[in-house]
Amino acid sequence: MSKTLSGVGATPLAGVGTVRWYEPTIPEFDRESDDPEAERQRFVDARDWARAAIDEERERVAERVGEEEAAILEAHRQFLDDPQIESAVEAEIDGGATAEAAVEAAFADPIEQYEATGGRVAERADDLRDVRDRLLRTLAGVEDVDLDALPDETILLAERLVPSDAAGLDPDRVAGLATVVGGRTAHAAIVARAIGLPAVVGVGDSLRQVENGATVVVDGEAGVVIVDPDEETRTAARTEREIDVIDEQVATADGRSIEVAANVGRPGELEGAIDSGADGVGLFRTEFLFLDRTAPPDEDEQFETYSEALQAFPGERIVVRTADVGGDKPIDYLDLPAEANPFLGDRGIRRSLGVDADLFETQLRALLRAAGTAREGGDDTGDLAVMFPMVADVSELDAALERVDAVAAALDDAGEPCAIPELGVMVETPAAARMAPELADRVAFLSIGTNDLTQYVMAADRDNDRVTALHDPLHPPVLRTIADAIDGGHERDAWVGMCGEMAGDPALTELLIGLGLDELSASAVTIPQVKATVRETNTEAAEAVAERALAAETLSAVLDVLDGDD
Amino acid sequence: MERIVTVEQEAGLHARPASAFVEAAGEFESEITVGRANGDGAVDAGSMLAVTGLGIERGDAVRLTAEGPDADDALDQLVALLERPEP
Repeated sequence: MSKTLSGVGATPLAGVGTVRWYEPTIPEFDRESDDPEAERQRFVDARDWARAAIDEERERVAERVGEEEAAILEAHRQFLDDPQIESAVEAEIDGGATAEAAVEAAFADPIEQYEATGGRVAERADDLRDVRDRLLRTLAGVEDVDLDALPDETILLAERLVPSDAAGLDPDRVAGLATVVGGRTAHAAIVARAIGLPAVVGVGDSLRQVENGATVVVDGEAGVVIVDPDEETRTAARTEREIDVIDEQVATADGRSIEVAANVGRPGELEGAIDSGADGVGLFRTEFLFLDRTAPPDEDEQFETYSEALQAFPGERIVVRTADVGGDKPIDYLDLPAEANPFLGDRGIRRSLGVDADLFETQLRALLRAAGTAREGGDDTGDLAVMFPMVADVSELDAALERVDAVAAALDDAGEPCAIPELGVMVETPAAARMAPELADRVAFLSIGTNDLTQYVMAADRDNDRVTALHDPLHPPVLRTIADAIDGGHERDAWVGMCGEMAGDPALTELLIGLGLDELSASAVTIPQVKATVRETNTEAAEAVAERALAAETLSAVLDVLDGDD
Repeated sequence: MERIVTVEQEAGLHARPASAFVEAAGEFESEITVGRANGDGAVDAGSMLAVTGLGIERGDAVRLTAEGPDADDALDQLVALLERPEP
C-alpha cells in the first residue's frame, strides 16, 4: 500500500530508488581529559585539517556549482577560525574537557542563539552544525562520509542536508533526495537544482518513519515522496529520470519544428547544455564576464569567450545577450549608484547607450569579430545572434542598431574581419511587448524573458515572498502579453523565442507551442523532457489549449484549462 | 572613534556580505566592533559568528567603532562596504 508524504519540490525531476538514511555518524567520545596541552594540540590539528578540506571543497563547488554557492564554504572557513569559538574551546579545555567535548560546547550556545533569532540567522545554524560536525569527525579520525561510494539508485533521506554534502552528490548514482527540514531556498535545495538532482525538502516528521531499504519515489515536480509506490508510479518516475537525450532538432507530431535551446550563465555550463541535447544556446548571459573582477574584460578576452561558445555548437545558433548590468549586482569598477528600484532603474540597454557606452562598444566589437570568424568557419562553428536587454522604447533599439553599424564600419576600415550577426530584442518589458511589431520590423527575432516580464506586468517583485502568488507567468494578463508579443513578431516576419523559466516547464510546452513560439530556451536539465514533449504535441490541439487559456479570466481558470478540466 | 551607517547591501549582513565584511575588518590592526545603532550588542567585527548573529538586514542602521592606529582608515573602508548595494 503506497503512502504519499508532502514536502516542497526543489527540482522539477522525479527519481525512484532504495532508501538510505544519511547519518554522518560521530562516534562516542570521552568528555574529560587531564592533559589540556595535548587536547589543545588535537584541536589545532583538527582545525588545520578541516580548513584544508573546506578549501578543497570550496574549489570543487566553485567549479561544479558556482561562485555563489562556493561563498558558503568561505563562510564556513570563517566560522571555523572564529575567535569566539577559539576562546570558548580553550576555556573548556582548560576546565578539563577533551577537544571533542570542548568543540561541542563551544558551538552549542551559538546554534541555540541563531535558532532563537529566527529568519535568515536561523538558516545559518545549519552551517554551524556543518562546521562543528566536520571538526568532531576529524577529531574522531572518521573519514568524511563517502557519498561517492553509495550504490546506484540510492534515494538519500536526511534530517537536513548541509551544503557541502549536497555538493558531493553524484546525480548519476543518487536517484533522489528528501529532507525532513529545509525550504526551497535552502542552500542544499539550490545545489540539488544546479546539479539536476530530484529533490523534495521540508517533508517534516513523517519522513522519519521511512526505513532504510524501502523503495520510494521522490517527485520534485509535485513535491511529494511516495513510499512503496505501485508499479505504475515507479515506472513513471524511472522513465522520467531515464528520459533519452534527443540530440537532433525536434518537431511536433504534425511536423512543426521547434528549436529547444539552453540558457547559459557562464562557459562552464556549455558542456551540460551539449550533454542535454540542446539545439544551441537561446540565452547566453554575459554578466559573468564583468562580475568579480577589478577591471572590465578587454575586447580580445571577450572575443575568445564568444568564439569558444560558438565552437561548442557547430551548425547551431548562440544568442548572446549584451550586458544586462544594473544596480542589483555589484561591479566595483563601474559607477553603479544605489537605486531605490534597481529593476526599474538604469540597467541593460539604458546603461549601454548611456554611462556604459564604452563598455558596449567593446562588447560589440568583440561580438562582430566573433561573428566574422564564425561565418568563415561555416558549419564547423555555430552561428552568432545578439540581442539587447531591457528595451522599452523603439528609439533605444534604433540607437543600438546605429552603434552596431558604426562598429562594423570601424572594424571594416581597420581591415578586421567582422560580420553583423543576426540581431534581436529581448522582450521583458510590457513596453517592448506592446511595440513588438515595430521592434520586429527592425530585427530578425524577439526572445521573451518571462521572469522579468511577469514581474513588470503584475507589478510584483520577483524576490518578495509576500507577492509570490502574483509572480506567476500563467496569470491571464501575462499570457495575453506574451501572446501579443508573439503575434506582433510574426506579423513582421521575425521568429519569436522564449528564454524564461517558463520555457523549461514540460507541463507548459503544449501551451507555448499553441501560442506560436518558434524556440524554447531553458536550463539544460529540463531540455530532454521538453524535447520529448514537443514530439508528442499536435499543433492544432495545442492552439485550442492556447485559445482557451487566453480566454480565461483568472490564474485558476488557466490552470483548469491546462489540467483539461475546463 | 565611531560611525553610524545604514546598511544598503541587498542581503543585509549575512552570508556573502558578512564574509566580506569580516574579512575586511580582519585586515586592520585596530579593535573594531559592530552593533545596532541604538547601541545594543556591539560585537567583535572580526568574528563571523558574532556578526552573523546580529541579524542585520538591509536598511538597518549600525554603529561601527574602531580603536587603534588605523582606526580612521578602517571605518572609511567598512562604511563604504556596507553602503554598497551588493547582494
